[in-house]
Order: sequence, then C-alpha cells, then structure tokens
Amino acid sequence: MNVYLLQIINGLGIGMLYFLLAVGLSIVFGLLRFVNFAHGAFYLLGAYFCFQALAWGLNFWVALAVVPVIVGLLGWLAERILLRHVYDQPHEFHILITVGLALVLQEAVILVWGPLGDNVATPAGLQGVVMWGGFIYPKYRLFLIGFTAVFALVLWWVLEGTRLGSAVRAGSESTEMVSLLGINVFRVFSLVFALGAATAALAGVLAAPVRGVDPFMALEALGIAFVIVVVGGMGSFGGALVGGLLIGVVQSVMSTLWPEGARLMIYIAMAAVLLLRPHGLLGRG
Amino acid sequence: MDWLARHLTLLLAAAVTLALPLVMTSGSLATEVLIYALAVLGCNLLLGYTGLLSFGQGIFFGIGSYAAGILLTRTGLPLLPTLLLTIVAGALVAAAVGWFAIRQRGAYFVMLTLAFAQMFYFLAYSLPDWTGGDNGLLDIPRPAPSLLGLTLMPLDSPWQFYGFVAICFLLVFWLLQRVTDSVFGRTLLAIRENEARAMAVGYNTRLFKLAVFALSGAVTALAGAFHALMTGIAPLSNIEYHASEMILVMTVIGGTGNLFASLLGAAFYVLMADWLSALWPRWLLLLGMLLIAVSLFMHKGLWGLGVRLWQALRRDGAARAEGAES
Repeated sequence: MNVYLLQIINGLGIGMLYFLLAVGLSIVFGLLRFVNFAHGAFYLLGAYFCFQALAWGLNFWVALAVVPVIVGLLGWLAERILLRHVYDQPHEFHILITVGLALVLQEAVILVWGPLGDNVATPAGLQGVVMWGGFIYPKYRLFLIGFTAVFALVLWWVLEGTRLGSAVRAGSESTEMVSLLGINVFRVFSLVFALGAATAALAGVLAAPVRGVDPFMALEALGIAFVIVVVGGMGSFGGALVGGLLIGVVQSVMSTLWPEGARLMIYIAMAAVLLLRPHGLLGRG
Repeated sequence: MDWLARHLTLLLAAAVTLALPLVMTSGSLATEVLIYALAVLGCNLLLGYTGLLSFGQGIFFGIGSYAAGILLTRTGLPLLPTLLLTIVAGALVAAAVGWFAIRQRGAYFVMLTLAFAQMFYFLAYSLPDWTGGDNGLLDIPRPAPSLLGLTLMPLDSPWQFYGFVAICFLLVFWLLQRVTDSVFGRTLLAIRENEARAMAVGYNTRLFKLAVFALSGAVTALAGAFHALMTGIAPLSNIEYHASEMILVMTVIGGTGNLFASLLGAAFYVLMADWLSALWPRWLLLLGMLLIAVSLFMHKGLWGLGVRLWQALRRDGAARAEGAES
C-alpha cells in the first residue's frame, strides 16, 4: 500500500512536469490552430542551455530564470520569420515546417554538444531526501511539485485575469472578431508562441536534473505532450493539468507493476480515454 | 495516344526501375529506393488522395518487417505465402489504428497517429521474445519465391533481389493506379476536397477512410517485409518514429497526389542520404531546411517543380516558334 502511495506522489511530480510540457502546446493550438511539432525541440534547448549554464559555473536558479526567456525569444523569432507565412496554408504545412524546424534544432544541438547525453547535477540545497515519519521523498521532486504548482497558478492568472489572457481566450473562439475589436492579433500570436516556447524550455530546465540531457529527449517529450493534449482536450488549460497528472500517475504506478511496459501503458491509457471520451476529458466537442 | 497519356506515370515508373540497374553500382541501394518508394506510395494514398497526414506509417513498415521475420524464422513458410500474410497483417493493424485515429480530424488526427507510432514502438520494445527488443530480429532468411513447387527466380545476389522487388513494385504501382482512377479513388478525392459535402452526398466517409488506411497499411507492410528480407534483420528502428518521419518526408518532398512523385521522393531521399551522410553526419540539418523551404515555397514537391519547369519550357518554345513565324 505504502509503495503505491509513494508512486502516486511520485507520479504527481512527474505529472506536473508533464503539465508544463503540454500546456504551451495546448495554448498555442487553442489560439493559432497550429500543432507545433517543434515544441519538443524548445524543451530540448531548455535542457541543454541549462546544462551549458551550469558548465559555465552559473547557478541553477539563474538558468531557471534566464533560459526560458532566451528560448522564448527564439520562439518569437521563429514565429516572426517562418511560421507566420504558413498560417493561411493547409495544416499539413504547419506540421511540415515545424517538423523541419525541429530537425534543424535537434541537429544543431548534436553539432554543438555531441550525440551523447550528459548528467545534470541536482542544485545545491535540493539534494538528498526529506523524511517525514516513515515517509521518504527526494527534495528536488518536492520542489518540482511546489514550483510547477505556483507557476501553474501564475499562468492561470495570466490567462484568466489579464488583458493578454482575454485576447488569447477570445482569439481561440474567433480570431476575426478579436481583430475587428482593434487588437493586433498577430502581435498576440507572436507573444503566445513565445510563451509556449518558454514554458517548454522551463520544463526542459526543470527536467534536466531529473533525467539528464540527450539530443533525443525532444521526441520523447513531444510524444508525451501529444498524449496529454489528446487525453485532456486540446486548447484547455485544465485539460493539460488533468491529463498531465493522470499520465504521470499511470506511468509511475505502472513502473512498479510492469517496468518494461510503463511507457506502453501511457499510450494504452490514451487509447482508453479516447474510446470513452473522443474529445478528451475536458475538451469541448 | 490516349492509352499513352493514361499510363504515362506507370511507364515512367517502369522506365525508372529499368534505368536504376544501368546507372547504379549498388544493387542494395537501388532496392532500397524501390522499397521506400512502396512505403511512400502508401503514405501518398493517405496524404495526397484522401488528405490524411499520417505520422504512423512506421507502424506498418515495422509490422511488415516483424511479421515477415517471425514467419520466416519460426514457421518456415515459403516466401510468397509469407508476403501475403504480411500484407494481411499490415492491413489489419492499419484498420485497427485507423479505427481509432479517424474518429478525429485535422491536427488531432495527426497527433493521434504519432501517439500510436510511439505506442507500437514501446510495444515492440516490451516484447523482446517476439521482436528481439533492442537487438532486433536477426538471421531472417531470404528463400527463393516458388509457385506449385516451381522455383520462380533465385534471390541470392542483390540485383536478383532487386528484380523481384521491382516486379512487385510495378505490380503494386499498377494496382494503385487502377484504385486511384476508380470510383473509389474519386470518392477519396472528394473527401480530401470537402469531407462535409461528401458526407452530405451520402458517402460513408469513415468507411472510405478506414478502407484507404487498410490499403495503405498493406502496401507499407509489404515494403517493411522487403526491407527485412534485404537486410536479414528486423530492427527496432523500422517501427520507430524516425521511420514514420522519413516516409512522410519522402512523400512531401516528392509531391502528393501523383503516384510517380512518390518514386521521385523516395529516390531523392535515399540517394541524397547515401551521398550526404558520408560527407557530413549532420546532413539532417539540411533536410530540415529543405522541409522548411518546401512548406514555404514549393507545396507540390519535386514533381510540382518538374511540371512547372516543363510548362515554362513549353511556353518558351511555343513563344519562340511564334516569333519565328512572324
């Protein structure tokens, strides 16, 4: 029993990271109707920039603050220079151009840092475990849950309580209506795309001490983000949260029951949700 | 003349399969071109003719490799029944995946196919007794095809195997040409252009999509089986995301909606990969840039580029002829 409780809490930790990974993808799709296949590549950049910052002797906290901003800027540039030109094309070209971008970024990472992975040290102060009665839990994972929960609240406030947020939500309903109201939709698009890239990078920075870095982590992340968005419902903040937590817990619990099949179970869970609720748990029909 | 126009793409494909042995020195590289061209035909059927972008073609390619490998190493079944069963397996798996995936449209559909690709990858990974796991399925034999106890042709050398694959390729090409020219094929085009309207006219579009998915899976599985026969192994990489991505990229670079474009895309990719990867291991960077360029500037791929050049040349020629007359 205790083992399962621990695995469920472990799963919540992973799940919050998964939420962070998926929420940017989901918001970008909600507003731009654009599936960003380069989302995993921004996560990859986040992890590697963190690795590089630590290698330069910088503090983990500096990396946590600065890396998402840099990657967000890169995302902003990519949207400005490339993606903007295919918005009015059929969706296969949205996918192709971001697949191309993802390839370029992944190969660039291999070019700079080599094809082999590396470890990233857990930040000082968060090493070791906390003991709480009979309960033992790694400090860093506890921090992960707390930090992402706070970040989720802030993000929720940005989406629900600010002018940008209302433009984003209204834009998801009708882009034309929003531009008729005198809001520069293209500027909102760029900002949201940059925000999506920045959240992916933040997930990358936070994941680096847990799993290390390797050039192929982008694909793994992309697959999981897709599953979460399909499970939770596209374009839904709550969906990303519920989907992320559910997938995290499924993976974590299954890894004690059937370690080789834990990854497989994520996708089986997805198929099951899809059978019961084709538009996802919180998706609108 | 009419006959010629109707069969132009088939004749072009036949010409390419005949020309490859003349211009290429490596039989296995030439075979690889045709194997991937087969897989690309399957992808083109979905993307070009039905408007379904599938990131899961690697599933069927991998299933084909594994099915052929398992049947040949464990049952000792002859080659032709093995290939037949492999095709059936591909169609069944594709129908199952399709049944889930076509419940969604557009971007959702694409994400689902990718998620299924990952699912089958982890499935193959977690069943090492069947698939060999990380090592792949090894020592797959390549028996000669026989019919009623009669050996049809030996497959020992790479060029002999090329001949066998070329015959099968042209057969499939001809078959798919018939399919796309049929009422079924026209209905698929109608679904691609406007699904709501096709439904309103009374077509059960889901059934059509399911059927084309199964057909695509069958063709792609055959390609996977040939790949396993050629290399003697069915590796995990045949069912990986990268197999799906590669097949899709070849399809798009070649151009969609024309069957010969598929051969063009596969040949371009395989030969470029062979040449560039020897020069620069990070050549995929260039491929990524090419993909970006295709999405920005040449939506019809290499085939569309060729058609445009041809039309420009003809117009140029016609203008010159006119100028000479006046």
